[in-house]
Amino acid sequence: MDDETREMLHQTAASIFAEGPSDLWEVLKSVGFDKALVPESKGGVGVSWAVACELLAIAGKHAAAVPMAEAMIGHWLVDLAGVEEIELPTLGFSSLSEPVRLTRTGDEWHVGGALVRVPWGSACTHIVFISEGPEAQLIVVARDASGVSITPGHNLAGEPRDDIAFEGVVPHAVVPAPFESNSLQAVAAITRSALMAGAIERALTLTVDYANMRVQFGRPIGKFQAVQQNIAVLATQAAAARAATEAGSEAIDDWIAGENESLMHSVAVASAKIRTGEAAGEAAAIAHQVFGAIGFTEEHELQRFTKRLWSWRDEYGNEAFWAEVLGQRVLADESGKTLWRTLTPAGSALELGATR
Amino acid sequence: MSNLSFPRPRQSEVGERLRAEVREFLDDFDFRGDPHTASVFGGFDPEFSEALGARGWIGMGFPQRYGGGGYGLVERYVVLEELLAARAPITAHSVADRQSGQLLLRFGNERQREEILPRIAAGKSYFCIGMSEPDSGSDLASVRTRATKVDGGWLVSGAKIWTTNAHRSHYMILLCRTSPATQERHAGLSQFLVDMKTPGIVCKPIVNIAGVHDFNEVHLQNAFLPDEALIGVEGEGWKQVTSELAFERSGPERFLSHLGLLEEFVHVLKRQPSAEGAKALGRLVAHLATLRRMSRSVATMISDGQDAALHAALVKDLGTCFEQEIPEILRLALQTEPDPNASDAYRAALAHVVLNAPSSTIRGGTKEVLRSIVAKGLGLR
Repeated sequence: MDDETREMLHQTAASIFAEGPSDLWEVLKSVGFDKALVPESKGGVGVSWAVACELLAIAGKHAAAVPMAEAMIGHWLVDLAGVEEIELPTLGFSSLSEPVRLTRTGDEWHVGGALVRVPWGSACTHIVFISEGPEAQLIVVARDASGVSITPGHNLAGEPRDDIAFEGVVPHAVVPAPFESNSLQAVAAITRSALMAGAIERALTLTVDYANMRVQFGRPIGKFQAVQQNIAVLATQAAAARAATEAGSEAIDDWIAGENESLMHSVAVASAKIRTGEAAGEAAAIAHQVFGAIGFTEEHELQRFTKRLWSWRDEYGNEAFWAEVLGQRVLADESGKTLWRTLTPAGSALELGATR
Repeated sequence: MSNLSFPRPRQSEVGERLRAEVREFLDDFDFRGDPHTASVFGGFDPEFSEALGARGWIGMGFPQRYGGGGYGLVERYVVLEELLAARAPITAHSVADRQSGQLLLRFGNERQREEILPRIAAGKSYFCIGMSEPDSGSDLASVRTRATKVDGGWLVSGAKIWTTNAHRSHYMILLCRTSPATQERHAGLSQFLVDMKTPGIVCKPIVNIAGVHDFNEVHLQNAFLPDEALIGVEGEGWKQVTSELAFERSGPERFLSHLGLLEEFVHVLKRQPSAEGAKALGRLVAHLATLRRMSRSVATMISDGQDAALHAALVKDLGTCFEQEIPEILRLALQTEPDPNASDAYRAALAHVVLNAPSSTIRGGTKEVLRSIVAKGLGLR
């Protein structure tokens, strides 16, 4: 995709979100953003993950209450697996206590068990998930299929996060999965990094504007060095979150281009979720501090961003989860003589942060 | 804040080939033995500097007629980070390589370039930076050291402080006043190339809290500098200094200084695995990966001729805070006591890093100064 097309997509996204039409999701679907990752030949837009994540960052910047990340991954996944088109897919991950079981009687599959905290589970038409184990299956279940029960839930920001139980459900489709379930978790984690990077940037903009406008002790609070220093730290976190997300999204593209290893072993993916999650916490704390009491009210818009940040950093693995994954992955690597050489393979086109 | 986005770093094929060559060269050394090399920039080793110079790995960006390799910044970056990551002793030439040579290249006169750049590139000429003064510190506009015009040159009087390696450098890049301070605080400053053997220059050692002598106080008493010692344009010193600082602030030395300690931690963890240790390691690697991407992005910006002062300030703030976090996170992840004299490499490295860590957010611009640059970039000042 050339820079011009990419720029045009961003402009389109930015203006749609900024306008915020009442039927936002319908408008986003009409320009194909839900199928951004599906090839053009199959009716999608055919963007790379790097571009898709920039679109998600714009969604995050507007705290848009739409299932854009889930639809993007869902459509991409069902297309990869060769399942026929479905309207609004979302992702599920197995519950630890009631892992999903897939059983087969003759030609018929049955699904039992539970998926937890499924984003937009009650709003989707289909739930897509990958079974654990070496012969992973991609399973698509229609939300209104018999035996599906939904217990609605929400994250801190009020976005649907629903528990879904299956009892003897006949799935819509079962096909060999294009990759293992933990790679799907890695992909999902990067969508959260991208959304967070956008929301942090917005929190920064709101904070700078407020600091320049709000007068205390006879001058705008942004003129006080202590306040300036805190906002500068917020800015460094915003920049780090964005840079980490970009590296993570590029790593997905590299992985698609030919890596067999699980995406969960990508240094860049883990780094993105860790670094962005950490930035989210720090950015939210500083933004609230600068806004003072007014930012702590329900009616103020700041909470639309900070509540999402506090939710997204815990979705698909928090910083501690990914830090352990990354640490173990580095320790297990014997190919480099040192930590540095593990992270930076010589002579390769890869860079620290790339998959391998 | 689109001005806070970092362009995708450029990957250089030439650089990646160089990386492999540097590694092969470094394989003949083992710098792990000296606990002091676990931190900062490794040791001060003229012989090693000359060996690097002979390979063409100093002054890489200088044009070939000045003894350089004619490489771009991106290639130089690769070589530098490999040296830092291996804890190679590059302190002797690093200031000359990183900033003084670049400064002479951009603003120096032809004689300065011809005479000095080839010696820097050969690893035989070391520099110190005379910016801070007693009572001025980060506020460079308040420097009081004064150069007075006399026949055929200048007479300089004043004092510089925190001058790293002044006692073993051949030259100092001196920032001083050539005309009295006015309302315009940054006017009237000029830069000079000072031969450290000039009569009237006295270095007094300052030992730091790690027991090491790097710092000095440098007194200049009616030191005579010939006309050709002036660098660039009289009175333009401030502008020249700020361009120099972008080189100083964004490089890998701002987040790789303590990589040696992290390497030692990995050695320990491989012998004594723990989930907590893996978690600490993973978090630090995530920061490292992100910083490296941002820093390489700044190198790409500078080599494309873009103004990277704000981005460099941001990377230095993040990088040096990360450096200070390393010992704090590791000490809690693995119960042990730091001891500079321990035979155990990890404990010795930890001790060295704990003692050196306070300096990272001070040298090259305090984090407060850097954050005020960022705040200005955000439109808050």
